[in-house]
Amino acid sequence: MISVSGVYKRFGDNMVLKGVSCEIRKGENVVVIGPSGSGKSTLLRCMNLLETPTYGEVWLEGQLLTDADPYLHFDLIRTSATYGNVRKMLSEENPSLSETELDEAAIRMIKAEDLLKKNEGAKFREKLRSIENSSRVPIELARRKMGMVFQHFNLFNNLTVMQNLTLAPTQLKIKTKAEAEEKATELLNRIGLYDKRDEYPSRLSGGQKQRIAIIRSLCMEPDVMLFDEPTSALDPEMVGEVLSLMKKLAEDGMTMVVVTHEMGFAREVGSRILFMDDGQITESGKPDDFFGNPQNPRLRDFLSKVL
Amino acid sequence: MTRFFNNIVEIFTNQKYLFEMLNGLKMTLIISVGAAVLGLLLGTIVAITTLSQSKSRLIHIPKAICKVYVTIIRGTPMALQLFIMAFVVFAIRGFPQIVTAIIAFGINSGAYVAENIRAGILSVDIGQTEAGLSLGLPRKTTMMKIVIPQAIKNVIPAIGNELIALIKETSIVSMIGMKDLNMAAQVIGGGNNLATYFAPMFVAALFYLAIVYTLTFAIKKIEKRLRASDKR
Repeated sequence: MISVSGVYKRFGDNMVLKGVSCEIRKGENVVVIGPSGSGKSTLLRCMNLLETPTYGEVWLEGQLLTDADPYLHFDLIRTSATYGNVRKMLSEENPSLSETELDEAAIRMIKAEDLLKKNEGAKFREKLRSIENSSRVPIELARRKMGMVFQHFNLFNNLTVMQNLTLAPTQLKIKTKAEAEEKATELLNRIGLYDKRDEYPSRLSGGQKQRIAIIRSLCMEPDVMLFDEPTSALDPEMVGEVLSLMKKLAEDGMTMVVVTHEMGFAREVGSRILFMDDGQITESGKPDDFFGNPQNPRLRDFLSKVL
Repeated sequence: MTRFFNNIVEIFTNQKYLFEMLNGLKMTLIISVGAAVLGLLLGTIVAITTLSQSKSRLIHIPKAICKVYVTIIRGTPMALQLFIMAFVVFAIRGFPQIVTAIIAFGINSGAYVAENIRAGILSVDIGQTEAGLSLGLPRKTTMMKIVIPQAIKNVIPAIGNELIALIKETSIVSMIGMKDLNMAAQVIGGGNNLATYFAPMFVAALFYLAIVYTLTFAIKKIEKRLRASDKR
């Protein structure tokens, strides 16, 4: 469903993501854990382009969201004149290399020195555009299918609960006002907050806010939900209500990517766990193997601290 | 002291003086309202341009113009700007002075309003924008429906301040010979008239105070209404 390939993200001098690739399949509940500063949230935010990856591509159901990255399309590199030249140069330097070795070395060199951009200029950009033309989708459209839940809820402070829920579907003309309100009412009833429909967010508790933020995303009927530390800003007694709503969602078959520090939730609900450390995914696996038999020493260290 | 009170009564009862005063008040109000409208309009446009996230490369040009505009206007005295408008830019025989004044004060006010609005928009938590975008709303809709309504609430006090300063600052139009409230007081007080400045100046001060007080009251009312969503 979501496919992240070779994503790098740099903030100033700080490379936060260092080549992350992962695949989120339909119906999966992927939980991302890792020490703070390891790039979990950045990865999640790159998935719906709240952060634009510096390099790499993000795909949603076969549609490209980011700019095309030429260095992920080897077939494209092979058709370039630069590739021919580099390959010729390498074979002259070192005649003993086999065809496949030559190919790999040439691609590695082109990638390392960013030769496509330097040598090919306009032609190279044209090639990129051909990929983008065939598969790129405007990010606004893609985001409708990806719900996002934030650590700090981010309910619209100037709108009532009901307006929060119906704003996006009505503004985007996906639903009429009546349809949107019907859907919102159904969801509010489901979480037992229908009586709060005309309150402003400032009068709600953290747990209530977060649950409303979750159903605000659901009002758009997304295919996948991204959760960015949804319980980290909550008082301890409110964590439970939010987690149980997320658990219900998972049971209903929603595809979810959850960045969290709730190891209990990860073990119980996660169908796959990713461990991130220093901008890379260093381990991934089923919860049982993951918690029962961790391989990576960094992971073992991390788990010993949080469990 | 009795003379002072007599003089005040004189100003309010003598038709010549009252007429002069009210005409001055009218001039002050026209310049203030005109300049405020122009300033708010200009300030909004400049603030939005400065904060625009458009990917077009051409956006740099209007952005640079806005930056230069704000820098120059805030960096030079109002009186000088008024002189330049009156004696250089609109130094055309028969060009209505009142338009010159409105443009000069409007342009001046615009720079301050722009900075106030910019600060107001930046003061809205970035999370609000991100939440809007993550629902698939275009940036423009997110701005119009979520960020700007919250920003307005934040900028109202600062804009109110700016409008109050603007009203009082219009008194310098007397420097280019226009008859506003300030000038009217001077005329009444000088020469063959009352032969004292104290009473007419006092009345002018009362008039200014009344305008500013009314404005403050209106702003308080607006603020209270906009803060409805903040009640806890």
